[in-house]
Amino acid sequence: MNGRPHILVIDDELQILRALRTILTQKQFRVTTAARGEEGLALAAANPPDVVILDLTLPDVDGIKVCARLREWTHVPIIVLSVRDSERDKVAALDQGADDYLTKPFGIEELLARIRVALRHSAQTQGATEPVITAGELLIDLPRHVVTLAGEEVKLTATEFKLLAYLATNTGRVLTHQSILSHVWGPAEADHVEYLRVYVRQLRKKLEPDPDRPRYLVTEPGIGYRFLAE
Amino acid sequence: MRHLSSSPWPYVKAVAAIGCTTAVLYLLRGSLASPIIALLYLLPVVLSTRSWGLGAGIVAAFCAFLSFNFFFIPPFYTFVVHETQDFLALVVFLVVAVIISQLVGRAQSSLAEAQAREREATHLYELSTALVGLRRQETIAHKVAEHVRQVFQAEVVQIALTEAAGKPAVTFRVPNSELPLNAPASHTIPLVTARGHLGEIRLWRPVQPFRPAEERLLQTFASQAALALEYGLLAEVETRAKILEESDRLKSAILSSVSHELRSPLVTIKAAASSLLGEEAAWDSSAREDLLVAIDIEADHLNLLVGNLLDMSRIEAGALHPKRQWDVLAEIVWEVAGRMRRLSEQHHLTIDVSEDLPLVPVDHVQISQVFANLLSNCLKYAPPATTIHIAAWVEGDQVQVQVSNQGPPVPEEHLERIFDKFYRITLADQVTGTGLGLSICKGIIEAHGGRIWAENLLQGFAFHFTLPLVWEQRRSPQLPIEEA
Repeated sequence: MNGRPHILVIDDELQILRALRTILTQKQFRVTTAARGEEGLALAAANPPDVVILDLTLPDVDGIKVCARLREWTHVPIIVLSVRDSERDKVAALDQGADDYLTKPFGIEELLARIRVALRHSAQTQGATEPVITAGELLIDLPRHVVTLAGEEVKLTATEFKLLAYLATNTGRVLTHQSILSHVWGPAEADHVEYLRVYVRQLRKKLEPDPDRPRYLVTEPGIGYRFLAE
Repeated sequence: MRHLSSSPWPYVKAVAAIGCTTAVLYLLRGSLASPIIALLYLLPVVLSTRSWGLGAGIVAAFCAFLSFNFFFIPPFYTFVVHETQDFLALVVFLVVAVIISQLVGRAQSSLAEAQAREREATHLYELSTALVGLRRQETIAHKVAEHVRQVFQAEVVQIALTEAAGKPAVTFRVPNSELPLNAPASHTIPLVTARGHLGEIRLWRPVQPFRPAEERLLQTFASQAALALEYGLLAEVETRAKILEESDRLKSAILSSVSHELRSPLVTIKAAASSLLGEEAAWDSSAREDLLVAIDIEADHLNLLVGNLLDMSRIEAGALHPKRQWDVLAEIVWEVAGRMRRLSEQHHLTIDVSEDLPLVPVDHVQISQVFANLLSNCLKYAPPATTIHIAAWVEGDQVQVQVSNQGPPVPEEHLERIFDKFYRITLADQVTGTGLGLSICKGIIEAHGGRIWAENLLQGFAFHFTLPLVWEQRRSPQLPIEEA
């Protein structure tokens, strides 16, 4: 990572490229930009980045395809940018291996927060997964199957624990309904979003200080869920 | 139509009939005179023609002639005839038998032809009734293919349409299957109208060749189908022209309404940004902060406006297809409340939506748009420091939602119309908004199969909407909860 993290931005809107280059450079990142998909792929291969920020609508290649092609050879975190109401594209990109998404227009603080999460996550996945995950007062002991909240043990059912563990081992990442359902319930149940709704609601009741304003188990409207540690 | 049959059975039967008749007559020969015998022989001849066709009739006539001669004309048991009058009787018998056979045969075949024509007319009538009022190319092609298959007992019927009026070339097949057809069509009929070639009907029928009548009927079917297709095409072109005209009108209405709306946040953004850039005034940090917050808020405002415009165009184009999933209504409400926290700082927002309501089958993003628009409407019209309340409850097969505020009442005559496009009660300059928000809510709720309305309360004003709890014939799923 030689000091400053390297960020590759692939977006066809030159104004956005210019703004992101200025802002991210000022925040001590090394920034490379590409206005086309093929160019982005070539740049990524020539000089592997630490994070890729990828717009889904590109003039030459479909952004979802760029995602898939990057995933053929690298685990670099990919943050997808897209406009409102393109849930289908976002879900497709996430299922193709993207780690996160932001809806345009977005606040720069939000983008920086997502970049931090992505960098932390990639540092983690290079080592083994932590056996104990902490988030605020919440502590998840994966090998012992124990969850405590402010030191008190919380009784979870087997499915609740499996769901929480899957979300927490992917802290910060957006997980689509499909991927959660097929991981926790099995691929045959991938369409039963209602299971997810019910179990997430139960988990929130047991874990969240205010289940109506969740801190740990955050809903990504129309896409899936995300576990937040901070 | 039974004419000259290729199968030997009718002839065999005719010969047998004459044989039987001869046997009976031979037994009775003592009591019957030869003219009566000749007359009685005509009976099987006529019956043979009627039952087995003209060929059988003629064979019967000849057999009868020979048997009559052999058994009943002296000298018996020879084909020799001595008496001139016997010879004459025999010849007359033969002529009469053949002529009667022919007459009966002709009557038969014209009856069969009439019946065939009647059947044709019925098929044609059925086809044209089935095609009445159809506009869509696919439905027409399907109906035609089904009829052709039924009437001509074809195994497979394919209708291939060439590219026309901006529609790509397509092929319809009955019965529907993707399997490749391994033989060329046994019959192909073009679909032609005065304007040109529309495509063709292809038939696969094993063995049987087409008879001329069938050929003719198929031709008629093809021209009927071509007419219906052309009519549908013309109607489609006309509808498209109407839609274009309508959308043109809508576009100019939107443009005039929106350009004003888009400009006001831009004015703020431009003013704030340029003053921050300007060197002459060194802004103190709180003034800087104010200007930056103004830019941020107005940018959000612009984004909301653009989002609403997009939704509207989607509703107008009929492209608003909710992607429904079982969802927790409370979660949607709280999420929208969180998103609009800054905008609703000056009001009290109270939420009474239970987590334990049944799951609702909705498009999460669209329903949050409904809540956002209703809330933003309440925030706009209700005075600051008043309460805005969101509640939801189950009523029969649906869940009902109420978003109420303590704002001024709306005159009764406007209650219906506030959901119309660009409809405003107050003058455009007094309150911001495109006048699109509520009509978008209506579009979304109706696309979900619900209903939306507004009413005045004793103190304040409320929006109501309903969402069905039944989706694809399923009620909200209830899951068994496992024990820890």
